[in-house]
Amino acid sequence: MRSAGIDIGSRTIKIAVIEDGKLVYFFKTVTSHNPLELARDLLADIEFDRIVATGYGRHLVKGHLDCPVISEITAFVLGSRYFDVTCSSILDIGGQDTKAISLNSNGDLCKFEMNDRCAAGTGRFLEVMATVLGFTLEEFSAAALSAKKAEKINNMCTVFAESEVVSLISNGADRNEVALGIHKAIVSRSAGLLKKVDSDGKVFFAGGVALNRCVRILLEKELNRPVFVPADPQVVGAVGAALSARD
Amino acid sequence: MADYTEMWKSLGLDLESHDALLAGLGKAYTDIFLSQKNRPEGMKYFDFVMSEVHGLRIKELVDAKAKGKKIIGSYCVFVPEELVLAVDGVAVGLCAGAEFNFEGAETLLPRNTCSLIKSAFGFKLGHVCPYLESCDVVVGENTCDGKKKAYEILGPLVKDLYIMDLPQTKTPKSKELLKEEYRKFIGKLESVSGKKITVESLKKGIEAVNAKRKAVKRLAALRAADPAPISGLDSLLINQVFFHDDPARFTESVNKLCDELEVRIKNNVGVAPKGTTRLVISGCPMAVPNWKLPYLVETSNAVIVGEESCVGERGTRWLTEIKGNTVDELLDAITERYFNIDCAIFTPNPSRVEYVKEMTKKLHADGVIHYSLQFCQPYIMESGPVEKELEKSGIPTLRLETDYSQEDAGQLKTRIEAFGERLKKR
Amino acid sequence: MAWFDSAILNTSAGIKAVREQGKKFVGFYCVFAPQELIIAAGAIPVTLCSTKEEPIADGEKYLPRNFCPLIKSSYGFAITGKCAFFNNSDFIIGETTCDGKKKMFELMADFKPTVVLEVPQSAKGELQKKYWNSEVERCKAEIEKRLGVTLSDDNIREAIRDLNEQRSLMRELADLNKTDPAPLSGTDLLKVMWARNFTFDHLSFNRELRALISSLKIMASKGEGALLNGAPRIIVTGVPTGIGSEKVIRIIEEAGGSVVYIENCAGMKQYLFDVDIHGSPLEAISEKYLATPCSCMSPNTGRLELLAKLAKEFRADGVVDIIWTGCHTYNVESHILGKYLAKHGNVPLLQIETDYSHGDVGQIRTRIDAFLEMVAKK
Repeated sequence: MRSAGIDIGSRTIKIAVIEDGKLVYFFKTVTSHNPLELARDLLADIEFDRIVATGYGRHLVKGHLDCPVISEITAFVLGSRYFDVTCSSILDIGGQDTKAISLNSNGDLCKFEMNDRCAAGTGRFLEVMATVLGFTLEEFSAAALSAKKAEKINNMCTVFAESEVVSLISNGADRNEVALGIHKAIVSRSAGLLKKVDSDGKVFFAGGVALNRCVRILLEKELNRPVFVPADPQVVGAVGAALSARD
Repeated sequence: MADYTEMWKSLGLDLESHDALLAGLGKAYTDIFLSQKNRPEGMKYFDFVMSEVHGLRIKELVDAKAKGKKIIGSYCVFVPEELVLAVDGVAVGLCAGAEFNFEGAETLLPRNTCSLIKSAFGFKLGHVCPYLESCDVVVGENTCDGKKKAYEILGPLVKDLYIMDLPQTKTPKSKELLKEEYRKFIGKLESVSGKKITVESLKKGIEAVNAKRKAVKRLAALRAADPAPISGLDSLLINQVFFHDDPARFTESVNKLCDELEVRIKNNVGVAPKGTTRLVISGCPMAVPNWKLPYLVETSNAVIVGEESCVGERGTRWLTEIKGNTVDELLDAITERYFNIDCAIFTPNPSRVEYVKEMTKKLHADGVIHYSLQFCQPYIMESGPVEKELEKSGIPTLRLETDYSQEDAGQLKTRIEAFGERLKKR
Repeated sequence: MAWFDSAILNTSAGIKAVREQGKKFVGFYCVFAPQELIIAAGAIPVTLCSTKEEPIADGEKYLPRNFCPLIKSSYGFAITGKCAFFNNSDFIIGETTCDGKKKMFELMADFKPTVVLEVPQSAKGELQKKYWNSEVERCKAEIEKRLGVTLSDDNIREAIRDLNEQRSLMRELADLNKTDPAPLSGTDLLKVMWARNFTFDHLSFNRELRALISSLKIMASKGEGALLNGAPRIIVTGVPTGIGSEKVIRIIEEAGGSVVYIENCAGMKQYLFDVDIHGSPLEAISEKYLATPCSCMSPNTGRLELLAKLAKEFRADGVVDIIWTGCHTYNVESHILGKYLAKHGNVPLLQIETDYSHGDVGQIRTRIDAFLEMVAKK
C-alpha cells in the first residue's frame, strides 16, 4: 500500500510517499498563491492509496482531497521516528515558525512549544540578515563559522535586528563576526524553547534551517547534547503525515 | 579585591557565571561612574563599596552569620529594617537591576514579566548573587501581581521564603492589617534568630535606620542647589548602597559627603554648569546595577536632582517616630511610618503626584521624567494621570517605559534630548 | 437552547423592563462582588465584563496596550458610553483583584460612582477572613446608602436562597456532562451562563434552565451527545471567556474536542459553593465569596485542587488553560497548575495565550489539534 503525506507550509509544499514502510518518493516546491490548486496539480501525477495532510494549509485542502488531517506537531513526531528512534527531543526551525517538542520514553508526544507569531528565531530571520550582510545563505553559514568571535546582536525582532546590523557594519564591525552573532542569537532562542518543553537527550533537528551547518554546530555546543539531522530535514512533516495514513 | 573564591564557592555560586557578571559590572561602573567629571571626594567610599560589593561586604555577612546573626533579604521597602535590626539581624535589599540569565527566568516566568522580577529569578537560577545565597530568610511581599505570583514559584528555590501580605488601600482598617502583618513578621524573626525583640533593641533599631534616612534626606535637600553639587548617578548609587551596606558606616560616609557638598555649594562648585537642565525622576525603582536611564539623561546635558522612587525619596523620606514605651506602641509608630509609602499598588494613590510637585518645586527642577518598567501595570497606569496632573500644574513631563536591555538606548536618548530641547525653550 | 440564544439578544428589552418596574442596576466586574446584597436591596446586579473586540480601540486610548483585552474592552465600553448596562448602572462595585482592574477603577471613578472592595491577597488566615468580612459589611452599608434602603437579615437570606437555587441548578446542569458523550457542548454551556448574566427575571430563567436540564437528561439517557462518543474530553479553565470571546472554546469543538466543563469566572467558578443559609448572613456571604479560586489570590491552591478533582470526576483527557495576553496572575499560575496536574492525576495541560482578535485562529487551531491528537493516544 502506498501512503502519501502532504505538508502544506506557508512557504513550501512537501509531498512524501511511503510504501511497505519505506520512503519511495519525495517532492518539495514553493507554495504558490493558490496552494490548493498547486497541491491538486502535484498530486495528480502521484500514485497513492491514502493521503493525510498536515501543515499550515491542511484544513484548506482537507475538504477537496477528502483526507484526514493531523497537526504538524504530530506529523513531526511520527516523521522523526522514521529517521531516528533514539532522539527524545525535536527542534524544527522552519521558514516562518519554530517548534520544540519533547518525547516520552515511548517516543510519544510529551510537551510542545511553538513560536509562530513572529519571525524572531525562524529561517526568515536568517534570510533577512544574510541579505543585509550581502551573503547567500550558504555563504552566510560559512562566514559565521570562519569568525573567531561573535559580535553580539541584542535585538531579536527581525525588523530591529536589521537596523542593528546595518549600524554595526557602518561602524566598522567585521561581517563574519556579525554573522556569527546572528547565528548565536537564533541558537540561543531555540535552546530556550527546548528548555521550555523540559527536553533532554538527543535532539532531532529538522526544518530548513537544519541545513545550516553553523546553526547545527552551535546548537550542539549550546545544548551540550548530540544533535541529529536527517539527510533531508524538510521532508519530516510529510513523512509523518504519510506514516499516519497507514494507521 | 582579595581572592574570595573559597567564600563564593562555599555560598554555592557558579564561579564562571559570577566572574562574568563581576567583569561586566566592573566595566559598566568604570564607563558610567568613573568617567564623570568633578565628582565629590566623598564618592571614593562608594566606589570602594562597589569594588567590594561581592567581596568585603559579603565577608562581613558571612562573619555575622558565624556569630549567630541572621541575614534577612527582602524585595520591598515595606519590610521594616527596624525589626530586623531589633533581633540583631542584617537586612539586605535583594532587588536586582541586571539583565542576567533572563533565558533561565523565562523557563519559569512569562516573557512579559517586568525586568526587575526576571532579574531576581535570573540571579537565583544562575547562582550568582552572594547576597541572595547568604540569606537565612527571604521576605516576599504581596504587592503587585507579578511579584505575588512569582513568589509562588520562588518559594521552593530558596532556603526559607516568608510571605508578607500588604494592604492595597489606605484606610484605618488596612493600617491595622499592616500592623498585624508586622506583628507576624516579628514572630518569624524571633523564631529564626532565637532572640526576643525588646523595647531597647527596637529603639536601637529605629535609631539606626532613622540615622541612615536622615543622612540621605540631608543629601536629597542639598541637591536643591544650582549648580548641582553631585550628579544624579552618584546620588542614585548612594540610594542603592543604602540597601546593603553596614548602616552605621553608611550613615557616617553619607554625612561626610554632605559636609563636603555644603562646602561645594558655598563655593558654587558643581558637577555641571549652573543653569543645566534639572530633572526629577519619578516611578519604578532602579535597583543596582540599573544605571541606564540616569546615564542617558546625564550624558544629554541634564542633571537629575531627585528621585521619587523606592530607591530614593519614596523609600526614605519618612522617619519612624520613637514614641511609646512598649514594643506594641513602637510597632504602632513603625506601622504609622511605613503606611505612608505611596507605591502605585495602592488604590487610590493621590499623595504621590502631590509629592512629585513638591519635590520639583523645592529642588528647582525644570521637568519630570516618569519612569516605568515595561509590564509594570501599576506604575504604567499611574503614568497617564500623573503626567496630566503635572502638566496641568505647569511641570513639563516625559513618560518613558523601558526595560534592562540596551536595545532601546537610542530611542530613549532621542526622547530625552527632545524633552531637553523643549525645556530649554521655556 | 433557543430561549438562551434569544435571551442574549434581547438585552435592551430587558433593561427597559427593569427600568419600567422602577428598579435600579448595580454593575460589577468580578465574581467576588456579593450579588446577594444587591438583590436584597431590590436592585439588579449586572455583570459588565466585556467580551467584545470593538471597544478595545477606545480602551487603548487611555490604557496601556499591553493590558489584558478584557479590561481594555470593558473600559472602552465604559468611557464611550456604548454599553447600555454600564450607562444604566447606578453605581459600580469593583474589587482590588488584579493590578489592571484595580487601577482601572481609579480612572472609572472619575465618571461613575464606584465602590471598590479590598480583597485580601490570600484567603487563608483569620486576619484575611476578618478583613473581608468587614469589606462585605462596608459593601452592605454603601448599597444601603446609595439606594436608600435598609437590608435586613431576612431579605438578605431570601436573596441567598434565590442565588443558591440558581447555583444548584447550574451545578446540576454542569454535572450532566459527566456522562460520555457529554450532552451539552461547551459553547452551549457558555451560552447558558452568559444568558443568566443578562436575564433579569430570574424566575423565568430558572424555569427555562430546569426545562433544559430535563431535555438534556433525556438526551444523555439515550446516549446522545453534543459531540461524538469518544471525543477527547476537555476542561477549559483560566481567564473569563464569554460570548464574544469564546474563540478558543469554539476552536476546541471545531477540532473535535468535547468541552465538558468550564471552570473560569464566566463559567462555573461562581456556582461551585453555596452561601451557608445558617448563621450570620453577612459572614456566610463573606465566606463563600472569599473562597473564589481566582488567580489574584496567593496561594491559589483551591483552584489547583479543584481542577485535579474535576479532571477525575469528569474523566477529562486534558485541560486547556486560556490566558489573556497581559494577565500576569493567570499566566504565572499556569506554570504552577501544569506541574500540579502532572503530579495529581497525570493530566496534560495546554496553555493558550491569546486576546480578542481573530488573527491567531490558525495558530491556536494547530496547538489544539496537536493537543487533542496527543491526549487521544493516551
